[in-house]
Amino acid sequence: MLAYRGGDARAFETLYGRHRARLFRFVLRSIKVRALAEELYQEVWMRVIEARASYKPSARFTTWLYTIAHNRLVDHWRRGGLSLVSLDDHDAPSSMPDPAHHAEAREALARFAGALERLPPAQREVFLLHEEAGLTVPEIAAATGSNEEAAKSRLRYAMAKLKAAIGDG
Amino acid sequence: MAEQPDPKVSRRYRELGDEEPPRELDQAILAAAHRAADRPHAPLIAPAGRHRWYFAFGAAAIMVLAVAITVQLDRQQLDPEALPAASAPAVSERKETFADSKGEVSSKAEASSATPQAQEKARTNVQKQTVPSKPRSGPARDAAPLQEKPQAAEVARADRLEAQRQQPPAEMQNVSPAAPATPARTLGAAPAADQAASSPEARARPQPKAGVVASIAPPLGPEQLLERIAELRQQGKHEEADKALAEFRQRYPEYRISDEMLKKVERPK
Repeated sequence: MLAYRGGDARAFETLYGRHRARLFRFVLRSIKVRALAEELYQEVWMRVIEARASYKPSARFTTWLYTIAHNRLVDHWRRGGLSLVSLDDHDAPSSMPDPAHHAEAREALARFAGALERLPPAQREVFLLHEEAGLTVPEIAAATGSNEEAAKSRLRYAMAKLKAAIGDG
Repeated sequence: MAEQPDPKVSRRYRELGDEEPPRELDQAILAAAHRAADRPHAPLIAPAGRHRWYFAFGAAAIMVLAVAITVQLDRQQLDPEALPAASAPAVSERKETFADSKGEVSSKAEASSATPQAQEKARTNVQKQTVPSKPRSGPARDAAPLQEKPQAAEVARADRLEAQRQQPPAEMQNVSPAAPATPARTLGAAPAADQAASSPEARARPQPKAGVVASIAPPLGPEQLLERIAELRQQGKHEEADKALAEFRQRYPEYRISDEMLKKVERPK
């Protein structure tokens, strides 16, 4: 990022190639609507480009990138009248069909996907940051603007629900 | 521990698929990044509009201030000329207005501070100008006390009004320089008369020669002059009446004498 800030466009290409798929999945699985996810994904990268001059390497670039993504998601939820905090302890209703109608091979995966969708947004976000972006709990706390205890608690709850969905809980 | 990834959960999560952003999105983002890199110090979002607004506003304010200062300096340069302009016979309308306004503005404040001697001096200065005087210049003008200006302007204005009231006699006096000590001639009217004589209108007007008309009675109007000519005719002073009538016709070529008056003023046949 520092190289890109100095005007090296190829450095950005390297960064982009390293993070594009993970960031896209993080956004897509947070929002679940592809068109919206693509829009937010582009917004995140544009924000990275705009803020390159103010970037300070005080933390990992990944943490900074997902902090921007988190803020975009919060904006998105706010526009929809939702809040990550208010939905923290309430499971979202599922729009997925009953996984019992699918074949056994896909049944477990469907249950898992359903469980992930039903996770409260804050827990789902923490899980995705942990699983998709590879952030540690302190990094998750930094990216989401919460304390470590809250981040750890959310991650623990998310893991427990997902384990239960795949019959391992 | 939550920090330790659960292998089963992770594996299930990986099985959900590897969605990726579309190629078009990648190209759009990379193109934006390249454009931004070409302008290393220019942000994608232009600097706040208010900065440009400040610049335009500041430039406009500076221009207004410059114009105001220029006008003020102009007025201050005109100020010393207010006294001679007001007292001099050939005064332009612009200077009159300015001198009057300055006088009105400052006379109230300065009236109490002006000494009677200074006021008398200003009045005398104005009255002494019996001939068209050149504007005072240099030390003479600079030596005039500033507090006299409003007083002198007022005196000059009063004199001008008086001169306008006595304009016809003044013109008649001009016609007859051989009789300078006529009662109508006053010290205050003299500059006005000179002013009238020196004005473009007066110069353009045909100047009658000195003669009997002037000697009769300068303050009289055409009708009164005709009456005087008729009196001369009645008294049998026909030579004098003829000259006066000729001068009258020369002076008032467009004046239509009534038939009744014509019988009185013309030499009887």
